Amino acid sequence: MRAHAKLVNVHRGLPAPSALCALALFALLAAAVTGCTDRGEPVLREPDPVGGPTLLRRLTQSQYRATVADIFGTDVPVVARFERGLRSHGLIAVGTGEAGISAFSIEQYDAAAQGVADAILGEEQRAEFVPCQPRSTTAFDTECAGAFMGQYGPLLFRRPLTNEQTQRYLEAARLGTEKLGGFYEGLKYALVGMMTSPQFLLRIERAQPDPQRPELLQLDPYSKAARLSYFLTDSTPDRELLRAAGAGELDSADSLARQVDRLLASPRFEGALRAFFGDMLEFDLFDDLAKDSEIYPAFNSDVAADAKEQTLRDIVHHLVEQNGDYRDLFTLDQTFMTRPLGIIYRQPVPARHDWERVQLSHDGSRLGIQSHVSFLALHAHPGRSSPTLRGKAIRNVFLCQEVPDPPANVDFSVVQDPSNTYMPTARDRLGAHNTEPACSGCHKVMDPVGLALENYDGLGHFRARENDAVIDSSGFLDGTAYEDAAGLAAALRNHPETSRCVVEKIYRFAVGRDTVWDERAYMDYLIAAFAESGYRVPELMRAIALSDNFMAISPPDQTPVGQGLAHNQSDGRNPS
Amino acid sequence: MRNAREKNPLAGGLLAILLLGAAGPGGAEAPFVRNGEAGFVVSFIEYGLSGDAQETGACPAGMTRNLPEIYAMTPQGKRREGESDEAYMDRLREAAGRLGTSPDGRDLCMHPEAGEPDPWFRTVEGSDMPVYGIDLDGEVSDNDFPGMSGGTGIDNQWYRVVGCSRSYQPAGQSNGFNIAMLTGSWGILVRLRGVDDIRNDDHVEVGLYANADPISLSPARKPLGYATYAAEPDPRFHATTTGRIEEGVLTTVPVDAMFRNEVNSMYLDRPLRDARLHMTLSENGLMEGYLAGYTPVEDMYNMQYGYRNGMTHAGELAPLGLRSGSANGAAFVLGHTCHGAYHALQQHADGHPDPDSGKYTAISTQYHIRAIPAFIVAGAGISPNPAQPTREEAGR
Amino acid sequence: MSKISRRGFLRGTLQGAAVGVGLPLLNCFLDDSGKAFAASGRRIPVRFGTWVWGCGFIPELWIPTATGTEFELPAHLAPLEPYRDRLALLSGFDVKLDGVPNKPHITGCLGLRTGIPVPDLKVKAPTLDVLISDQIGDTRFRSIEVCSAGIQRSYSYRDAGSPNPSEISPLALYSRIFGEGFQDPNAAQFTPDPRYMVHKSVLSATQEERRALMGEVGAEDRQRLDEYFTSIRELEQKLALQLEPPAPVEHFEMPGAPPETPVDSEMENVMENHRLMAGLLARALQCNQTRVFNVLFSDTASNLRRPGSSSTHHTLTHEEPVDPQLGHQREVAWFAEKSMIAWREFLDALSAIPEGDGTLLDNCLVLAHSDCSIAKAHAVEGIPVMVAGNAGGRVRTGFHMAGKADPISRIGLTVQQAMGLQVDRWGVLSMETNRVIPELLA
Repeated sequence: MRAHAKLVNVHRGLPAPSALCALALFALLAAAVTGCTDRGEPVLREPDPVGGPTLLRRLTQSQYRATVADIFGTDVPVVARFERGLRSHGLIAVGTGEAGISAFSIEQYDAAAQGVADAILGEEQRAEFVPCQPRSTTAFDTECAGAFMGQYGPLLFRRPLTNEQTQRYLEAARLGTEKLGGFYEGLKYALVGMMTSPQFLLRIERAQPDPQRPELLQLDPYSKAARLSYFLTDSTPDRELLRAAGAGELDSADSLARQVDRLLASPRFEGALRAFFGDMLEFDLFDDLAKDSEIYPAFNSDVAADAKEQTLRDIVHHLVEQNGDYRDLFTLDQTFMTRPLGIIYRQPVPARHDWERVQLSHDGSRLGIQSHVSFLALHAHPGRSSPTLRGKAIRNVFLCQEVPDPPANVDFSVVQDPSNTYMPTARDRLGAHNTEPACSGCHKVMDPVGLALENYDGLGHFRARENDAVIDSSGFLDGTAYEDAAGLAAALRNHPETSRCVVEKIYRFAVGRDTVWDERAYMDYLIAAFAESGYRVPELMRAIALSDNFMAISPPDQTPVGQGLAHNQSDGRNPS
Repeated sequence: MRNAREKNPLAGGLLAILLLGAAGPGGAEAPFVRNGEAGFVVSFIEYGLSGDAQETGACPAGMTRNLPEIYAMTPQGKRREGESDEAYMDRLREAAGRLGTSPDGRDLCMHPEAGEPDPWFRTVEGSDMPVYGIDLDGEVSDNDFPGMSGGTGIDNQWYRVVGCSRSYQPAGQSNGFNIAMLTGSWGILVRLRGVDDIRNDDHVEVGLYANADPISLSPARKPLGYATYAAEPDPRFHATTTGRIEEGVLTTVPVDAMFRNEVNSMYLDRPLRDARLHMTLSENGLMEGYLAGYTPVEDMYNMQYGYRNGMTHAGELAPLGLRSGSANGAAFVLGHTCHGAYHALQQHADGHPDPDSGKYTAISTQYHIRAIPAFIVAGAGISPNPAQPTREEAGR
Repeated sequence: MSKISRRGFLRGTLQGAAVGVGLPLLNCFLDDSGKAFAASGRRIPVRFGTWVWGCGFIPELWIPTATGTEFELPAHLAPLEPYRDRLALLSGFDVKLDGVPNKPHITGCLGLRTGIPVPDLKVKAPTLDVLISDQIGDTRFRSIEVCSAGIQRSYSYRDAGSPNPSEISPLALYSRIFGEGFQDPNAAQFTPDPRYMVHKSVLSATQEERRALMGEVGAEDRQRLDEYFTSIRELEQKLALQLEPPAPVEHFEMPGAPPETPVDSEMENVMENHRLMAGLLARALQCNQTRVFNVLFSDTASNLRRPGSSSTHHTLTHEEPVDPQLGHQREVAWFAEKSMIAWREFLDALSAIPEGDGTLLDNCLVLAHSDCSIAKAHAVEGIPVMVAGNAGGRVRTGFHMAGKADPISRIGLTVQQAMGLQVDRWGVLSMETNRVIPELLA
């Protein structure tokens, strides 16, 4: 059953008297999210919207590139170096609302804009991109310049240009034509101006009153379009969405649903999923990843790229093409592989230069995305594995559980060097973590989980032994015992926090901020809807996009700044 | 007959690549055997020869010479008084050109049969120096050598032919063709099937194939284990036979096999008749030993000296200039004459006598090889994926 | 020329707390050196930079036993013998935590650079190099950040959301500085390119959005918008400079492009990349592409490693047992010494540039420091600091001073004053100080 947005207000309050309803009331978690139809079937209902502040968000690298590709076509190059994203509350998407804009990035955006302008206004291409011919190529033509501005301006600014803005860029084009002696040279600088404008580089959300809820505001139509589009396609609103925004269609439930379904069905939806999971799985850390080439000779930059692609491809295949249950990502036994990855997984890959659908391991012992090279190699050291890093990552990434930083005066001298014969395996060496009182509190949370993956070395190869001692990968995950990594996979799949966490993260990703305290009922609603849909992520994203809370804005003086549901996650790297 | 777990340490330098754990507890297959199948790619290859001639005393009459050196020994070939280096070199080169051409104007590298046997092509006369390799014919004859690690009756007439050539000494260039294999232009795959026990198994199916894919290397250019390779689709390059494993040593029933060679961008066949393996197999999948048999002398001549039938990548005969130039150039640099090599090969052949003339047409050849685990898949057309553009073509 | 915005300075105030940053007397600090490069009587600008290495030191191998001007350089400082007179060694100065949790390798480094201890990367004030570059950085680049160990981070922050990223590839650094847009100061001809004028005026027009936008966004976002507009203005200034002939620079030679090198944390590659980038940076300073730089030799949780070793420098500081004969960790000491050798090589690059009567180093003030003293304990007491160069005569060197647990903000305050900032107090709580180090100031 699809989780449709909400019931009409009529059903607020006491449910209709029926035994089924009474049961439903007690059985379901939060009364606020349930109601009953006349026939007594329990139906999920969105609680009253709370909203959050309007945000000022930077575009991520993938969003910038997708935006340029959508507006100007995929042949237009984007030649710029992008800064690393700022990770906040576990997501770079949230960091976009906090990151500053350094001089370096303006320099790069400016260079990128010039590159785009050169590409589309060059002699061969201009016919394709400029919707008119100027009366002369050496003199300014207001009409034609205006047409060019009219074609690209609204797409770039994600809303119609004001008269002032139009005049400003026309003036820039005119000045350029005058000084440089060419109409297209003038246009070029007008385009550079538009592409370095804050209206393009920054997603500036604006609010307007909400007629249905005077105590709240809502995003204005074009802010709605941008939020929807970057959420569901990781790219800029297309012409149709902008038209719908301008026509007020995003304010009405039915036409909004039409647009949402259109975006969900578009080929760009996959890009949104990749953007979310790439963010959640911290794939940006791959840029820093180095492996010792003597210890792990199979690692190279092709392998690093393939490893990320493998996981993202599996996720998209499972969630979209197979319409699968999110939790099953942790127990997948099949995957896509290339030959360079086949060397690490020790699986044959018949396809010479392409992705092949294969078993993840020949004996079924390796399951789930947490056993992929992209997870195992990322959360490990250059020359060896790290149960602590992996355990911490499982807690942070998949379960939304905080692990505090280590105390500064930690003494690691009890941890012997990795070739010590007296403590051959990591489990032996980390024993001190669990006996030292200052360490055990946090390490009891991280290490057992990470130790379950010790059969995979620092790159992800399977190994039965470390230093000739058999590896013991049994342990507990919050009360569930397991014998090995496959058992951990099942425990992770069935852990109640696994599904809650992804709901929270997708919501944070969508709105670009941490959840606020008053949104907890809304979170419960989303989580219940997710469960009801069979843990289907596209359904969840649809439910979010269609919910009132998604577009609601809290009035400025009431915005509870900085009160997250979970206290701030550390976004810096932990040197363990 | 489940596997025992005795250690079987191997010589050979690739252990660091494959730090594999031993097989799991409880009688599971060795990690490189899956459902009784184990594939390997040859990661190192060279001719099994002998020690340096100076140390073994194999060449009391001296080493083989090339044409300029031969000419330089004649009275006309001596340097004239006041002759500059350059002029002398030019004169030697020009004489070499003449000496390398038959009386009727044919290049002797392309037509070595038109040349006389070359007295300056030295071969190994004695048979008491130990050589690398195995006994091929089960007999101990006068021409056989003792083995490097004991044993007698080693058939290695190819060593006899090249043992007094400078380029085939341990420090020489001719035996370094492993480098060409690592560039990926050719390779050798071995597949075992029906393996119940890697220590002792009295029957395994064995396949020898030419590799259609370049070998996968680490950044330090060492072969990586567990890569996937396709066998050459052309059945000429498939050879199947059977074998046995005894105390960790794999031996196979002789079969005619065909592989490839590549020299200077020319592709040549590398046939090996009565090919058999004698390999020590370790529990982590490293194999070392010999791939040995008889190479038809005409093909051995082509591969190592004359390149008469060198093909381009597109399958056409390479231009004459390339073939002849490479052959003559190699003769000069490596220190031999083409016709000398040819006649020496004919003289020392010891296998496959011609049914009519009785003359031997193949020469005993020992390849010293190492192999590491690999997955072998059938060639193009069997993969479930339709033909895809290569990464480069797709612009990735 | 650029005017420093009052807002920009006050951005660093901590609500109510006494971070008494003095208001700059703007006019007298505007450096018009852009015009003053006549062949004689020219004023050579003073440059400022920081040089950071990770994971501290081995005290007994670094701290000289004597203080003052007569002291022996211990083993790890021995490579710096040629620069003894140009170095001020400052040991025993502490970052004071005042109960703030010590985030390993972060709190010490940022505490030193901002005067405020923070438990994470959310700095509460701009780092001192940003304060200085706001003052003197009216050059093509306000500042240049590089990292030789393949990490894009620097410890130069304008505020919590705005770190300045580091260049990690020598070739990319070269292209950025000496590639397109570079004007050789000694080029015979100068013809201003009208494109720069058009480009600049287009960017100026962007500023017209400012007022309307400021009214539309929330308070927190106003700061970020402000930074955006400041960055646009910097780009405008860069373009404006292109329209003026650059002042000729004696002895300047255009450097060649460096080779493409592997960028990673392997020691030899790091040393090589560091050498290449130091050379490029020195040339960039020489011809005034920037006056402020920040070098991160190795990340504060040092990722340096030796090929074939399963442990990084940082991991070793925690896990390597003390060698009973040496009395310290042998492998860790190797990395610590290499860091000092690299520091020497950096000074070599600066001294190789002749300038005025001496070298570029004479006109620089380089603040070298680590993130901690004893890495194993993440100790922020006694973080090793060195000041190199004479800052055009404003700074005295050639001595070793023991801080005796004084707040390390004294160094930051002194350095800012030496660079001409009108500031008499710096730091908060226990690190609030108004005491400069008189031995350092000329």
